[in-house]
Formats: sequence, structure tokens, C-alpha cells
Amino acid sequence: MEKDSFKIIENFQFRLFLVFGGILLIFKLFLPGSNLIIYRVVSDFLILATISFLFISLIVFIERRKVSPISLIMNIGILNAFVFFLIMFSESIMSLLFENVNDRLNNPGLVSTGLTLGYVLLIGGFITYVLVALRHLFFLKQSSTQHIYFLTMVVFFVLASLTANYLKSEELSFISNTFMILSVLMMLINSLRISWIAFIVKKEKIALLILSVVIEVLFIVNLNNTGETTVHKMMLSSLSPSLHEFTNIIMLYGAIYFGVLFFTTLFHMPTADVFDRKAEEVSSLQYFSKLITQVLDFNELAETVTDITTRVSSADASWIIWKENDEFVSIANKNIGFVDSNLINRFILEKVDWKTLKETTFLRMREFERKAELSQPYKAVAVSPLKAHGEIKGLHVAVRKNEAKFNDEDKNAIATFSDYASVSIENSRLLEESIEKERLEKELDVAREIQKKILPSKNPEYENLEISSLFVPAFEVGGDYYDFFEISDSKLGFVIADVSGKGISAAFIMAEVKGIFQSLSKTIESPRKILIYANEILKNTLDSKTFVSAAYGLIDTNEAKMSFARAGHCPALFLKNNTSQNLRPSGIGLGLSDNKQFEETLDEIKIDLDENDTIVLYTDGITEAKNEKLDDFGEKYFTEILLENRNRHLDEISKKVIQEVSMFSHNHSQYDDITLVILKWKQKTKLVSLGEEPGHNRMEK
Amino acid sequence: MAEFSTTLVDKGNISVINLEGYLDAHTAPILESNFTELIDASKFKIIVNFQELAYISSAGLGVFMAYIEKIRNNSGDIKLTNMNDKVYNIFDLLGFPLLYEIFETEDQAVNKFKENDEVGSK
Repeated sequence: MEKDSFKIIENFQFRLFLVFGGILLIFKLFLPGSNLIIYRVVSDFLILATISFLFISLIVFIERRKVSPISLIMNIGILNAFVFFLIMFSESIMSLLFENVNDRLNNPGLVSTGLTLGYVLLIGGFITYVLVALRHLFFLKQSSTQHIYFLTMVVFFVLASLTANYLKSEELSFISNTFMILSVLMMLINSLRISWIAFIVKKEKIALLILSVVIEVLFIVNLNNTGETTVHKMMLSSLSPSLHEFTNIIMLYGAIYFGVLFFTTLFHMPTADVFDRKAEEVSSLQYFSKLITQVLDFNELAETVTDITTRVSSADASWIIWKENDEFVSIANKNIGFVDSNLINRFILEKVDWKTLKETTFLRMREFERKAELSQPYKAVAVSPLKAHGEIKGLHVAVRKNEAKFNDEDKNAIATFSDYASVSIENSRLLEESIEKERLEKELDVAREIQKKILPSKNPEYENLEISSLFVPAFEVGGDYYDFFEISDSKLGFVIADVSGKGISAAFIMAEVKGIFQSLSKTIESPRKILIYANEILKNTLDSKTFVSAAYGLIDTNEAKMSFARAGHCPALFLKNNTSQNLRPSGIGLGLSDNKQFEETLDEIKIDLDENDTIVLYTDGITEAKNEKLDDFGEKYFTEILLENRNRHLDEISKKVIQEVSMFSHNHSQYDDITLVILKWKQKTKLVSLGEEPGHNRMEK
Repeated sequence: MAEFSTTLVDKGNISVINLEGYLDAHTAPILESNFTELIDASKFKIIVNFQELAYISSAGLGVFMAYIEKIRNNSGDIKLTNMNDKVYNIFDLLGFPLLYEIFETEDQAVNKFKENDEVGSK
């Protein structure tokens, strides 16, 4: 925006130009004509300064505007034509106004001075513009900046024009001639720096060819019209003879430059097409490689592929056939309607095997019987596979109206774009997958974290109880939950539960279940009542598909009794001596039935505890652990292991169970959480420990 | 991945869904779509035959809970039949026998529906 709002008036050099122009005007108006050398020097200095500042400010202007070379040349042409007329009219107008132009100019009045000044300013502006434009073209698309060449040339120009004027004597004319020759030499050298034409497209080259001829002619004509006896020369010379020389030199430079330009462009013409396409290929390849790393949007990618195909190959239209819900559809159509493309799709799919197409294949529309239905006379078709993951995902189609076949060049271009598109499609698919995977993993991490925080960090300590708990999370959080509630020194509540479902939703329900049991256990002791309240709450909060199986127990150590209720959970195992008993009072899972039915069917049992009686709570992660044959680990085997190891320490029993489960299911991933809580009643612990405590202490000492 | 499939059979005004394979969180949507299909067609008398079902997880059990209320409100029912011991044990643990009528054979379930119809028509 800032560049656009650039105003030449605000430019410092331009202001200087105006100042010097003004001084020149005043100088000429008040001191018209004098043959004093000092007068001529001052006059030339003022003109040189004025033109120099105009030159510099024009350079800034053109570079800021980023004017294209063609429009610069166009401007030179227009100005040339303008100057052509200016020279023509100056001759007749001046002759009309004044009887003897030459005399009049030598002894000028106010009118003639004004006219002369105006004329000189126009010519000065013209040559300055030409010089600036040629300078701009000189530096265009040059890899190494060679200011010195151009600068030297301009210095020679100035020197040649000044010396031609000031050193007129025969003996010294060699100086100005030398500068002149050097100037022309530099013009020739600098005129060869026109590599920028290689970078313009064919259409522009054609325009350039015509323009350069016209401009060349105009330069020569204008140069011819500024000879010795012309009014033009008289007018310029009356102000500054050096300026006249300078004008001629610039025009000569222009003539040489456009001559060279014309021939160079002419020689570029035959290769213009190829060059255009190569340039397009290079730029589109760059675009593609960028696209590959960026693409997230498949539609955007498809549009780019077809767009570039029509631009780079000689195809008139392009689109992609994509398989959507078992239907072939046209997408990203470029220069073709869907009716046409869908018609051609049928033809293509008849001719080409979707699954086995290996490379770009050409088809002739001649063989298509319904080609009369097409709105455009398409003649040739190129079809390339778009592959991702070794599988064809779509077909990239290019068609052309021209009878001539697609050539190898086209084939390569189309194949290249199809390959790039395939890579991009693959990339975007991989990206989507990895994002999804990452998301799931993050989610599971969160779920595991929640679960870890919900489960008790350590087992409570009661004098009559040995307690062991063990939890092995599954990869997907399974929704297992267990907890202990230290109601008083003599009363311990415990719960085990399994939320249906997995992952983060199960983890959140676990959190809710924990809250429910924690608060209920503080005010209610009866396991049955706690479960009834829990059901009431959960029935209202859980969605109809979700439920929680739970078992709640309360051990009163003073009474040596346990009360226990079960809501749809695996039965607890009660180990007494060498026998195992299933504690399975009736009860429906939490959240499954309305409270009336739940209450009616829920039983609570009371059990007297004897020495070494063991209560085992578990979740179906143990009994339903599977081996490679998908057999269950089973309750029977589980019980056997417990009974075999019943005299060992509780933690060892847990370890043993987990060992057996993992050995059993080593070829099958752990599908569900595993929870195992074991409580062992130690009637005599209190007495024994009391009795032994002093001795124990003594031994330690 | 364990496979699961269902087949739908019409027996008069009663629809029978036969289950086969492993019903868990991943395969549950197949059964869900069967239920929604039947409900959309206002077929509320449904028998689910477990003869060929090898395994059911808690998520699989949840499917039955999701639709039962709507079906019963439309004076229909889901009756379960032909469960093997393992599958029955899972239903039993959760107390499903208290919530659903479970029969040994499909015919028993069909008869039960018919009995109810007769009672209803009287």
C-alpha cells in the first residue's frame, strides 16, 4: 500500500528537478541569448542538473511502480511518436510565427524564448525517459549488477556532447570523435544485455517484435529529422548546443538498442513456445513441491493439479475422476462442464481398467460413439492414475480439441503432475491418520491419568485385616474402579465397579461413581442401601446404553462380620479353609432398571468372619482374559490358583494371579482392565501382635 | 478383529434377529442399526436369538438397554433366546433375567408373544 501511495511530487530529487528547472527558466527569460562562454557553461550546467535530477527521480518512480518491460517499451514508442510530431510541427509552427526562424532565435523575444524552453523541456523529458527506460531494461533479470557499464556509457554520452560543443576547432575534434566512438561502442555492448526477453511469454514477444520495429523506425526518422538545418536543431542549439548533441546520442542509442532487440526477439520466436512451457513447468513444479508439504485440503489440491495441467501441457481441459461411495464422479473440472466430463468418464472407464492402469495412457475420442453429445469437439484424451498406498484412488484426465496426438513432452508433463498429485494425496491421508492417532492417544492418556487419580494410592491399614489391591490398566481404559472407605477404626467399606464402555467416557463415569460412593459411604453403612441410592443417581445421569456393575461390602472388625451387596458385578469369592464360595446375592447392574425393581431384587448378605477367611473381589478382566484361541481364562482356573496359593502373602497371591493371566493371554492383547482386591481376616492379629510386640521390639534392638 | 453379523427374519408380526460371532463395543453398531430399522418400521415384537453368538461384552449388553424402553412403550418387547451358558452367565451376573424374558428356544418366545396378544385382545 505504501508503495502504491508513492507520489513523485514528494520525491526529493524531483523537487530538485523542479528547482533547477525553475532557475533555468528564469535564467533564460531574463538573460536571453549571449555568446559568452561563461553564459553557455552556466546554461549547460543548469540543463545538465535539471536533466540529471529528472533522470534520478524517474528511476525511483519506475522502480517503485514495478513497470513491466513491455509497458516501458510501449511508452517509449508513444513518446517517440509524440516527438516525431513535435519535430514536424515545430518546423511549420515556428516558420509560421516568425519569418526568419534563425534570426529570431539568435535575437529572441519573450515568446520565442518561452516556446523554445517549452520545446526543450519536452525533448529533454523524452530523452530522459528513454534513458531511464533503457537503464531499467539493462538491469532487468541481470544476475550480476554491472552499474559501471551503464554509468560509463552515460558519462561518455555527456562528455561526447559537451566536447562536441566546446572543442569545435579542427585540431581538437578528435577528442569529441573519440568520445563519440567510445559512446557508440558502449551502446553496442550495453544493447546486448537484453536477456529479459527470455522471460516474457510468447504473446508478449510477438508484441515486442512489432513494437521494436515501429520504435526502431521512429528513432531513425526522428534522428534524421534533427539534422543541421532543422528548426529542431536551431531551437535546441539556441538554448544549449550540447543538449542537441546529447539528444542525438540518446536517439542513436535507442535506435541501436531497438535494432538489437528486434533481431534478438526474432531469433527467440521459434523457441518461444517451448520456453514458455518450460518456464511454466519449472514454476509449477516449484508450486507443487510447496503444495506437497502444505496440502491439507484435498479439493484445493485437485484444483491445482487440473489447473496446472491445462496451463502446462497442450490440453484444453482437465479434471479428475474420483471414486465416491462406489460412484465415479468428476471433480476439479477445468475448462469443461460436468455433462461433458461425465460423458467422457464413461468412455474412459470402458477403455481403461481402473485397477490396473499403470501409467499415462492416450485414448482417441474417435472410438467414442456418443461423442456427438459433447458440447466441444474433444479429440484426444490422456488418462493417468492417481495412486496412494499402492492403490488407484482416482484418474487424472486431460483432453484436447486438436486432432494431433499428445506428444511425449505432454505425456511427461501430465505424468509428472499425476505423480505429484499422488504423493500429495498420500501425504494428506497419512497426515489425517497421524492426527487422528495422536488425538486418540492423547485422549487415552487423559483417560489413564483420570483413572490413576481416581484409584486409591494406598491400601488402608486395619489391625484385623490384610489388604492387597492390584490394578493393571488395559491400553484402552476399561473403566475399572475400586476403592476403600475408612468409615471408622473398626469399620471398612470397600467397593469394586466396572463401567461399561471404554476410553475417556468410561473414565469420566468412573469419576462420577467414585464421587457417589465416597459421599454415600460417609452417611450410610448398609451396602444394599448404598447401592440403591447409587442406582437412583446413576439411572438419571447415565445414558440408556451405559451401566455400571458394582459390589459393595462393609467389614465390622469389632463384630467380625461382613455385609455385602452386589449390583450386577462378578461375584466375590469367599475362601474358607480349602473351599471357595461365590458370594452372589441377587442384584441388577447400576443404571439398568428403575429404582423400584432394583430395590425389590437387591439382596444383602451377612457373613461371619473366621481366621484366614479371604474375600476376593475382581473384575471380568481376569476371568474373561483370552488366549489366542479366544478361550476364557475362566472362573474355575482363577479359583484354583487362589486356593493353591491361599497360604502365601496376599501380594504374592495377586502377583501369581496376574502372572497366570498374562501367561494365558500372552498371544492376545489385554483387552480390559484387570482389578484384583483381596482382603484376609486375621482374628488373632490383634492378640498376637500385642503379645509379641515387646519381643519384636527387643529383637530389633 | 473378531467378526460379528446379524440376520433378520420375519415370523408373522414378530421379528427375529439372529446374532453370530462377537458382540462388543466395535461391533455393537451393527446390532444398533438392526434395532433402529425395526423400530422405524414400527416392528416392536422382537426376538433376539443368541444361538451363534460366541461372546458379548458390556458394550454389547448396553445395546439392549438402549431400545427397550421405547419398544415397551409401544407395547412391544425384546425377548432373548438360545443363549449358551457363557453368554447367559454374563446376562445373569448383571441381572438381565430380571429385566428381560429369556427363553431356551425361539418357539417359546414366539408363543409367549402370541399368548400376550390373546390376553390383550380379550
